[in-house]
Amino acid sequence: MDTSNPAVLVNGELLRMYVGRKVRTVIQVLQSNGGITTGKSTDEHQLVIKGSPPPFPLTNFVEVIGVADSNQSICAERWTNFGNTFDTFSYNQLCQLANGEYKSLFL
Amino acid sequence: MAINLTDGAIAMLSNGEAQGADLKPILQVVDIRLVNTQQQSNNERYRILLSDATHLQQGMLATQMNSLVKSGKLQKGSVVRLTQFVCNVIQGRMIIIIIELEVILEKCDPIGEPKQYVQGGAASGASQGVRPSMPIQSSVNQTGTATGNPQSYVGTSLPGGQTGGQNVSGGPPLHHSKTDPVANPQSYNSSFAGNPDSGRYTVNNGPPVYPKTEPSGNIPASGPLPISYSDQNQGFHNPRTDGSRASSNTCARPMQSSYQQPPPMYVNRGPVAKNEAPARIIPIAALNPYQGRWTIKARVTAKGELRHYNNPRGDGKVFSFDLLDSHGGEIRVTCFNAVADQFYNQIEVGRVYLISKGSLKPAQKNFNHLNNDHEILLESTSTVQLCMEDDSSIPRQQFNFRPISEVEGMENNSYVDVIGIVSSINPSGSIMRKNGTETQKRTLQLKDMSGRSVELTLWGNFCNAEGQRMQEICDSGIFPVLAVKTGRVSDFNGKAVGTISSSQLFINPDFPEAHRLRQWFDNEGMNTPSVSISRETSGIGKTDVRKTVSQIKDEKLGTSEKPDWVTVNATVSFIKVDNFCYTACPIMIGDRPCNKKVINNGDGKWRCDRCDQSVDDCEYRYLIQFQIQDHTGLTWVTAFQECGEEMMGISARDLYYLKYEEQDDEKFAKIIRKVLFTRYLFKLKVKEETFSDEQRLKVTVIKAERVDPSAESRFLLDMITKLKGEGPSALPQRAAVIPDSGITNIGYGNIGSRPIAPAANNTWSSNNAGRGIGAQSNQVGQYGNQYGSARVPVAGSMGGYLSCNSCGGTGHNSNNCPSIMTGQGQHMGGGFVNRVPPGAGGGSSSECFKCHQFGHWARDCPGSSGVTSTYVSTGVAGRYDGGGFKQQVGGF
Repeated sequence: MDTSNPAVLVNGELLRMYVGRKVRTVIQVLQSNGGITTGKSTDEHQLVIKGSPPPFPLTNFVEVIGVADSNQSICAERWTNFGNTFDTFSYNQLCQLANGEYKSLFL
Repeated sequence: MAINLTDGAIAMLSNGEAQGADLKPILQVVDIRLVNTQQQSNNERYRILLSDATHLQQGMLATQMNSLVKSGKLQKGSVVRLTQFVCNVIQGRMIIIIIELEVILEKCDPIGEPKQYVQGGAASGASQGVRPSMPIQSSVNQTGTATGNPQSYVGTSLPGGQTGGQNVSGGPPLHHSKTDPVANPQSYNSSFAGNPDSGRYTVNNGPPVYPKTEPSGNIPASGPLPISYSDQNQGFHNPRTDGSRASSNTCARPMQSSYQQPPPMYVNRGPVAKNEAPARIIPIAALNPYQGRWTIKARVTAKGELRHYNNPRGDGKVFSFDLLDSHGGEIRVTCFNAVADQFYNQIEVGRVYLISKGSLKPAQKNFNHLNNDHEILLESTSTVQLCMEDDSSIPRQQFNFRPISEVEGMENNSYVDVIGIVSSINPSGSIMRKNGTETQKRTLQLKDMSGRSVELTLWGNFCNAEGQRMQEICDSGIFPVLAVKTGRVSDFNGKAVGTISSSQLFINPDFPEAHRLRQWFDNEGMNTPSVSISRETSGIGKTDVRKTVSQIKDEKLGTSEKPDWVTVNATVSFIKVDNFCYTACPIMIGDRPCNKKVINNGDGKWRCDRCDQSVDDCEYRYLIQFQIQDHTGLTWVTAFQECGEEMMGISARDLYYLKYEEQDDEKFAKIIRKVLFTRYLFKLKVKEETFSDEQRLKVTVIKAERVDPSAESRFLLDMITKLKGEGPSALPQRAAVIPDSGITNIGYGNIGSRPIAPAANNTWSSNNAGRGIGAQSNQVGQYGNQYGSARVPVAGSMGGYLSCNSCGGTGHNSNNCPSIMTGQGQHMGGGFVNRVPPGAGGGSSSECFKCHQFGHWARDCPGSSGVTSTYVSTGVAGRYDGGGFKQQVGGF
């Protein structure tokens, strides 16, 4: 596991704290054409994912790892399909915990 | 104070003449003895020896008067007035059954020198071949005191001849009695006449065997037998014994029965052939086992199901119904097998029936909650006759409504009628019964004018029938009135009321109580808060106490009286594949198969020892042993049929054939591998059992379901939130709460931990928060807040009324639930929590918070059983408190 450049678990709200850093998040894909994919974060923010999607078709939920480009966009490096159902509430809570008082437990 | 005992009363009683209505004899109690009846230990009876200063006679005290003896009001030497009594011959002895008496003097020196009364003792000599009535009566007349006052008569005649011999001697010669019966209307004579069989009455010392030949021809005249309503005794002997006198006697002595029945109705002591006229109707309250014939007229208030049962003596069916009569007496009628079939369809709830020729048995109090010490057992010869015209004097239903506030003080398993407003109702859910069957359960809150509310649990069919109706009414925004007939009080979760099979529910009934309640509720009740005497139960059952594998051992689960039910999230790490099932007996017993192990007979048949039968084909049922493992450890568990099927996804029979018949090892391995290393949420039953003197912890899987990651995440998040929520707020809350020691401890519930709490504060701040929250939740109006402070000093383990939403345990709430805290301990601190040997904790911390002695934990406290609180079972209290406590010690 590469720990030299860990990706921070974020949701839409937390993304802006990590502009320029490597982040990972899960989005619900709304629309994907060419290099731009739009999706909804687990806390209902609209996010834009730049970079070409993987060769395989995206499922409803996708995890994206990449560098935070701005408050609302990420340059994707890796895409992982997370299936068509996903508990966004839990993931959102996880993001908050990972950036809150238990931050030290996370990379 | 000089006491005059009623002279000659014993003689009159013994002869069956003196009747309650016209005579209330004053007698002295010479002796009281407790009689042990064989049938039921709780059915105490007292035998009383009564004296009228001249004679002695045995009497039995009706059980409802037992309290007099127990309270000491009625004792040896007491002078009493019999206000209601019945003279019977029981096992050949004359016994006065005292239904009611007044104690005139509690203590008195023995009066006179009474002798055992031998009835018509010498008459036996004279009676041979002669109608005894004649001689005896004549003797009476001879005395010349036929003034119509039996007492005076007896007074003069009996003292002279204490054994009654006088009668005899005087009897036969003076045979002129018929001339003046009218002159002696109330006299003693006719009753003597009624005792032709005087030899029998000498039996006070006589043969103990009751002559079973009773219904023979000459018995009818034997006075005492039918006497329970015996004002009519005279009336009925006489017509039999001597026609000419009959008229005089019957009219001379007007019937004084309180039940106003014409005497001839009761006269049926004649030969069997004459016996067909209906016996007179008596009130249910007057039924007793010593009566031969009776008829009751009563309404069926409840009718049970025709139930099949199976016990060591075999199969059978039983059916019972409850009766209520116009005097408010109630009794249960039970019939078995063929008799049950005979009457089951005939009985309709609400109809009025005439019932006779049943036998009376002591009531089975564990099944029968009615206010009657007896129940009627119907036989095939019993008659049950429908009364076509409804008798409006018999109420439809009899309620004895008690305010909910009174339910609070009632004992577990007592029965109660309550009426209240349904303030909320929960959807029904299913619950596993001990015998493996499932039943439905629905709870609702009932409140009444006493300002209390109680949780009512509906079981089985009530959930869907009445429960659904109430749900609909509640959903439409109206709070229905609910009357519950015979609910059972339980002390599960504080006090609650549950239905039993014979309970009846009436929604928005049309009684005055219901209207009053409705009015109260509409005017004020709707807005007045009521204190619940039940602890609110959360949706989470007790099996949802989440534990880790190591906690099963470390917390000594299963070592208390009852099994522990826990949930463990673990992975199957090893499965014993050789013996995964057993051969089970498929014979149906009742509605379930026997399922005991059957043994191959060698001839292709399978033999079941329990059923004592052989069958051609057996059933295969899972009995899988496997290991489950989580991050704390691993343990062996056993899963049975249903669980095994669910986990394996194939029936035990199919898997057995696959492995042993088809020997398809590859496919078999595939099925096993599908289960192996899969994570399940196991509901476990943990109980320590003894196998050949060895204690073994038996862990049985009740339910295994694959872990739903989403649900599990939420569960963990919830735990984290609780953990987090308690941390920061702990200190201020604690400071505010600690001065009030009573409440401080409610949440956590141990005094012993208090001294060390400050030290533990930083590490275990969550405890303190728990206290604060515990106290708060008390103030919210849980049961605890009223009693918490009062009971705290007594109870030892405090806050018994608090319930934990997380584990369902008692004595804490979810915020400081030990199941969570110890879970945390496991995650963070490793094993430090565990295995603190008793007494090994250092210094002040080893004080037992139950007895406040040093050197042992409360769990090991020798005096613990005596000190535990009412509502917290020792095992639970000890374990939780002990466990939590130890953690604190470990924590700092």
